[in-house]
Amino acid sequence: MIIQITGNEMILAAIDIQSIIYAGVTMVILGGVFAIVLLIASIKLKVVVDPKIEAVHAALPNIDCGACGFAGCASYAKAVVADPELLGKCAPGGADTSAAIAEVLNLQVSGGGAPARPIVHCRAHTADRTYYAQYSGIESCTSANVLPNVQACKFGCLGYGDCVNACKFDALNVVDGLATVDYEKCTGCTACSKACPRNLIEMVPFSYENMMTVACSSQESGKDTRDMCKVGCIGCKMCTKQDDAFFMIGATIAKLDYDKYQSGESAEAAMKKCPTGVIVYRGKNAPAPRAAGQKA
Amino acid sequence: MDTVQAMILGFISVVIVNNLVFTKFLGICPYLGVSGRIDMAFGMGCAVTFVITLSGVLTWMIDNWILMPVGLEVLRLVCYILVIAGAVQLVEMYLRKFFPTLYESFGIFLPLITTNCAIMGLCLFLNLWGIDNLLEATVLSFGAGIGFTMAICIMAGIRENLNLADVPECLKGAPITLITAGILTMAFMGFAGMIR
Repeated sequence: MIIQITGNEMILAAIDIQSIIYAGVTMVILGGVFAIVLLIASIKLKVVVDPKIEAVHAALPNIDCGACGFAGCASYAKAVVADPELLGKCAPGGADTSAAIAEVLNLQVSGGGAPARPIVHCRAHTADRTYYAQYSGIESCTSANVLPNVQACKFGCLGYGDCVNACKFDALNVVDGLATVDYEKCTGCTACSKACPRNLIEMVPFSYENMMTVACSSQESGKDTRDMCKVGCIGCKMCTKQDDAFFMIGATIAKLDYDKYQSGESAEAAMKKCPTGVIVYRGKNAPAPRAAGQKA
Repeated sequence: MDTVQAMILGFISVVIVNNLVFTKFLGICPYLGVSGRIDMAFGMGCAVTFVITLSGVLTWMIDNWILMPVGLEVLRLVCYILVIAGAVQLVEMYLRKFFPTLYESFGIFLPLITTNCAIMGLCLFLNLWGIDNLLEATVLSFGAGIGFTMAICIMAGIRENLNLADVPECLKGAPITLITAGILTMAFMGFAGMIR
């Protein structure tokens, strides 16, 4: 190929037809050879996928959160096609996803229950707690939890954010020393409740938009709890007298039975009577809890 | 004997002294993207080693036995891309068939080996370094893959430990990764000039 360049003008004086043909032929042969090799490989290495598995996989949320107990959506899809009893394990997808999978597998489903969402059973911010010493080790609840006196309360939130790291959906934040769930972003995948070394995070069926909870896990006596934390449950049994859903574990802490729980006046009354304000609402539009020491 | 010595020297050179990642800054995308966990980094390194060896050898053959005799050096880049893309397709099918879990955990990074510039870079370097026999081309291609695997595994090892370190808030994530990569590269600069 000969190209003469004069000023801004480019004159193609002569084009060597032969080299163009050579180039074309070379590329066609090379491309052909690779096409044949890949064709043979694709036949030899073909993976047969059950169309049902693909359809189920398409119906899943595809976020690989692992709430179902499988490594990801793909392996859950495979398992649920093989064993339909596993239907309904997808927490983020909920009842809609179960129905979609049931349609693919030709099954009948009904109901699905309220979606489970995590509730942190602690409401103490840094200012509400008592500290004996300052912890400056690895920033992780799991390692901080090994030390007995990292904070006075052995049951409360440590606030180093193991749950925040476990969350794939950015739905948890440590706000002023307390893990706080953003219920708009939460999918209910249970990763945080597995990550918490103090088992503070319980998966609760949210039958209402906001759920009431006893936001404390302290097993200490009432006096000790009061010494260590301004907002802990002191086991005074006031709430159990107002509403049947509240019951006592031992003599030290109240708990809420979510099978019995009904949003209503008696529950509100229990919340108002609580002397430390440990009974709070959690949820998408939860009203702000009472400040420490404030009377209802 | 001289050829054997040259092979060994060439291999060490391309693995440590002229490591594509540390000295030529090629293949940084998977180097930072897939170096979160050692097992995945090693898998990625193996896939890249396979592709880089296959495409290095094939491109050397095409370059020396087809393009140069015909005088079509202009087609070099196009042919190289064709070879690399074909090799990646092959690896993808192979992994999907025999290692489905690895295939799924790679996700988008597996087809992206096609655009891994370490591979393209090596194919062009083979020409630039004036490698004139097939055996040496094979050894250097394989060495480049091993070098990449070593780099990404060291990085993954550091990053696994970095997860437990008390990193300042403003440096968490990408910034500390880039700083780590920089310091690691400086460490490997100590080898510069040992061979070639």
